Amino acid sequence: MVPRPPFPRRAAAVGVVVCLWLSAGPTTHGQHPGGAPLQIAGMAPPALPLPPARIPKPPDAILVASFNIQVFGESKLAKGNVVDVLARVVRHFDIVAIQEVRAKSDGILPTFVQAVNADGSRYQFVLGPRLGRTVSKEQYAFVYDTERIEVDPASVGTVPDPGDRLHRPPLHARFRTRIIPREMAFTFWLVDIHTDPDEVPQEVDALADVFMGMKSARPDEDDVILLGDLNASPQQFGRMKQLPNVAWAITAGPTNTHRTKTYDNLIFDHVATREYLGRSGVYDLQNGFGLSLQQALEVSDHCPVWGAFYPAEAPRAAPPGGIATGPVAAPR
Amino acid sequence: MTTGDQPDIPRLVTALQAAAAAIRIDAAEQLCRAGTAARAAAVDLVRACGDDDEQVREWAAAALEELGPPTADALPALLPFLDGAEPLSAYWAATLLGRSGEAAATAVPHLANSLGTADDIAVRQRIAWALGKIGPAAAAGRGALERAATDPDQRLARLAADALAAIGG
Repeated sequence: MVPRPPFPRRAAAVGVVVCLWLSAGPTTHGQHPGGAPLQIAGMAPPALPLPPARIPKPPDAILVASFNIQVFGESKLAKGNVVDVLARVVRHFDIVAIQEVRAKSDGILPTFVQAVNADGSRYQFVLGPRLGRTVSKEQYAFVYDTERIEVDPASVGTVPDPGDRLHRPPLHARFRTRIIPREMAFTFWLVDIHTDPDEVPQEVDALADVFMGMKSARPDEDDVILLGDLNASPQQFGRMKQLPNVAWAITAGPTNTHRTKTYDNLIFDHVATREYLGRSGVYDLQNGFGLSLQQALEVSDHCPVWGAFYPAEAPRAAPPGGIATGPVAAPR
Repeated sequence: MTTGDQPDIPRLVTALQAAAAAIRIDAAEQLCRAGTAARAAAVDLVRACGDDDEQVREWAAAALEELGPPTADALPALLPFLDGAEPLSAYWAATLLGRSGEAAATAVPHLANSLGTADDIAVRQRIAWALGKIGPAAAAGRGALERAATDPDQRLARLAADALAAIGG
């Protein structure tokens, strides 16, 4: 039996665990989650004779990101320089929740993940159905590093929305870390959302119900991370802000490429999801890749946002007057 | 790759009419990147939502998501799209009218009529939403909204009821 490593308390985790692997340090706009900024002069297609070096991943954290890749369809996929930036972004993270796959073709994600894996990585993807009230549809996707994360295929689905309150009901899937023994691994729901910018207050309120619904979806799973492009800053979280223990990773600073809005975030219950290490950030496309504003906008009008989580399941929070129940036993 | 920071909106509007799809796609994408600066192209982008090419439509819709309310002088030109053959254009025309709020009061009779006649349910829903955004100045649309509030489509009925509440009185 493998001894269970002590679960780090948050303050210690920030100071000890994460510093072992991260050189980026600050989590403000203009930083990215690992290593020195990549420079792509003029965004010319890379002329490297060798495959790009693999980005080392931290042993003591998983990085969960959300990225609205504005109108991710055939025309964007045809731009090799843009795809190269997107692939490099994805390789920094263990899971990326993607919004705005917009194409009738089914080939966008397979082709993109092939580009991500060009350096020898082993990413895979989960792709949701085409959603939207008009002929203009969007798909959600999760792209994840199979060397560090696994998905429960039976857990993938679209959140039911019988009241038709959400233009694009979220895609959910349950994941498990693979970098520590399975019986101790952190398991969690990801719930991927892109709200309708013209119905934000109503949709954000509906997401409060989605969040609570996902919390009770399985008795053995208390970790729900709702992430995406909310088109709402934390001040606009409405009823979601009133949920017990609700927290969000991006508390301030812009998440869009124009640096004017804080619309992208990761939302979770900070008591249940004690695996959150208190580290988060916005991966600034301009500074991270040495791009002009226009070049960065060709990649997307949003920057990726991310949070770091401990890869082992935290003991459940103690009930009132009780004691912690130990690691959550997920079904095998 | 674009290097300039100031988009040439008139040039891009012209390019939206090009015969080559690639040129139209690029123009719609550049207008999308222009953000609110593309407001002057709002009507052209609504028209582009009916383009034969999927990527032109997607970039045009994405541009419309970002550009906020249109200029006041563009409002009359949006009305014909409400009754046109392209549901996506009609949807975005209604959206822009709604975003304009009270400034779109003169569009209320047309919106009210289209609420009852449009074939596409998403268009009807967005028209009901738009009338609510116009608020008390949309009082002339009350009758159409009252009928829509009893529609079997749950979302349309809810949006119509919300609009009636916003109109008040």
